[in-house]
Amino acid sequence: MELFVQLLANTLQIGAVYVLFALGLTLIFGVMKIVNFAHGAFFTAAALIVTSVVPFATVELGVPLWAGYLLAAIVAIVVVLCLGALVYSIGFQHVLKDLNGSFILSIGLLLILNGAYLAIYGGAPRTVPQVLPGTVSIFGAALTAQRLALVIVAAVVTGGLYLLIERTRLGLALRAVAMDQEAAMLQGMPFNRVALYGFLIGAALAACAGVLMAPINAVTPVSGDEFLIKAFIIIIIGGLGSVTGAIIGGLFIALIESMGGYFFDPSTATLAMFILVIAFLLVRPQGILGNVE
Amino acid sequence: MYTTNWLRPLGAAALTLLLAQAGAAQETLKLGISAPLSGAAATWGLGMEWAAEQAAERVNAEGGVTANGKTYMFDIVSYDNKYSATEGARNAQTMLNRDGIDFIAGTIGTAPVRAMQALTERKGVILFTTAWGKSVKGPEFPFTFTQMNTPFEILVPFYNFIKEQHPDLKTAVLISPNDATGQELEPVAVETWKSLGVEMLASDWYERGTTEFQPIATKIATLNPDLVDFSAAPPTDVGSILKELDVLGWNGVKVMSAGTSVDALTAVAGEAAEGAYLGASADFSGETATEVQKELNAGAREALGEPLNGITISSYDAIMALRAAIEEADSIDPAKVQAVLSSVRFESSYGPSGFGGEATYDYPQQLLIPVIVTRVENGKAVELTRSNPAELEALIND
Repeated sequence: MELFVQLLANTLQIGAVYVLFALGLTLIFGVMKIVNFAHGAFFTAAALIVTSVVPFATVELGVPLWAGYLLAAIVAIVVVLCLGALVYSIGFQHVLKDLNGSFILSIGLLLILNGAYLAIYGGAPRTVPQVLPGTVSIFGAALTAQRLALVIVAAVVTGGLYLLIERTRLGLALRAVAMDQEAAMLQGMPFNRVALYGFLIGAALAACAGVLMAPINAVTPVSGDEFLIKAFIIIIIGGLGSVTGAIIGGLFIALIESMGGYFFDPSTATLAMFILVIAFLLVRPQGILGNVE
Repeated sequence: MYTTNWLRPLGAAALTLLLAQAGAAQETLKLGISAPLSGAAATWGLGMEWAAEQAAERVNAEGGVTANGKTYMFDIVSYDNKYSATEGARNAQTMLNRDGIDFIAGTIGTAPVRAMQALTERKGVILFTTAWGKSVKGPEFPFTFTQMNTPFEILVPFYNFIKEQHPDLKTAVLISPNDATGQELEPVAVETWKSLGVEMLASDWYERGTTEFQPIATKIATLNPDLVDFSAAPPTDVGSILKELDVLGWNGVKVMSAGTSVDALTAVAGEAAEGAYLGASADFSGETATEVQKELNAGAREALGEPLNGITISSYDAIMALRAAIEEADSIDPAKVQAVLSSVRFESSYGPSGFGGEATYDYPQQLLIPVIVTRVENGKAVELTRSNPAELEALIND
């Protein structure tokens, strides 16, 4: 019993970041109908910024670690939003609803951003001290306080996004544009502005994931790329453009990783994910909750 | 009039001589490095690049390397192989076909090195490598030379020493990266532990680039082995697993056969890294280190923020071997240099060295250096023991 609680706790820990990351990707696809291979670069930018702002704040400014981390989180999210606005205005707004164009643009952007990160930060892994040290035990499952905080914050952010999508005018506009762009425009919705907001929300979600992961994993200029592959698997399984699908898909992939990694080995679990995504593409290409087009 | 006629050809001859000399002084010999300069294994690549630059600076400061009456200055050109075969192959194309490089002074990773060999062996380019796979060596790869100890040199003395320190060891779990390096190391590690009476409870694989290690840690903690061997896993991956194992309360013997970058390991794992045995690290600031190693190590700490290890310092030794071989062959023709490399004697960072290993690989292409066992103590690699291979002993006493 204790083992299954631990495996469940592992699933939630792993799934929390996957969900945040995949939500941004699926939101951008849903609203703009583009694939963004540079999405991981937003995650990486935020994590790298945290690794440089935290030591600066704690050593140079002399603030406590938690305050330095909060400052780093704010700086990281603001910088990523600015970066998102820049790449949207010079690139993505010209390839809206263009899968081929966005594919080429985002691959090029990814190469440029990865090269820039490498030039600025070097390739060596960077670390941030744990803001919440110590271990907690929940029904016999052990996890670090930092991981527990990550799960809670990820759940709050996901809940907040869900409310935004379901209960606000912006959310209504995002859903309307995702369902039928032309009909939404006929109702007077400014598609370009809604697309920009959707893109920025997606970038902010990736930044949140990067900020949360920085004190947990070593950060490198390609950290985000490693999550990107999983995120694509998640949104294909969950359904491209579906927020609820991304949540279900993220937790499902985390479950496979947790259970498969334990009962077989991590390589087998990775293989299982790819087989699963092939099966979905063959049998149910729209994913669990995606719409057939 | 007579003076002018005499002076003109003399002046022209002097000018030609000066230009020729200037030209000779500016001859450069490019040495390539293909290593991970980004990603989890970047600490290896960046350290290797830095050590190669130090070796080149030293050779150049000592007047360069002379062959066939010409003096050459070494110039290091580095390429990021991202620890992948694709990038290794791309680097080989760039180095050999675009940049005209005939000598590769350092490469990391069995998969990228295998990819490079398809080109380097065909074109007769000297390739130094840290690759741990046995498949990259042998008479069919005469231009490939290994620049550090590999499992076939390390594992027996390394595991023997650990078993002596922990005679009660009964069970182990092996965690290997699922790539060419891990696949070639795994059977050797399993067999060596079995020969020491240690039962292998599980031998699991993970993909490089894995970000979440809780499932592996949960499995290890449930199996509760006396020892975990992290095989060829890079230090940041091992650090992540050790951190998770610490959370789950496992505290057995930690073994890193490819254990190198202690700073990277402790930066991720913190105190959970304490006591880990490292097979490819060294304390280059300790009493047993040579003056060259101490100097290089201090420089690396300042420049890179972490000390050198068995992988990173290997480019220095490769370049010293190359200098000796070029001077011995009196040529920069890679075929002529290759012909003397196996028998050349030179001063490595460890002391007198050469190449051997014919009994293991059927070809003398393995650098002969001591096997050093270290352990993480207070966040630093502390040397516990070292042993010279028989061939190295013979070379030193020769």
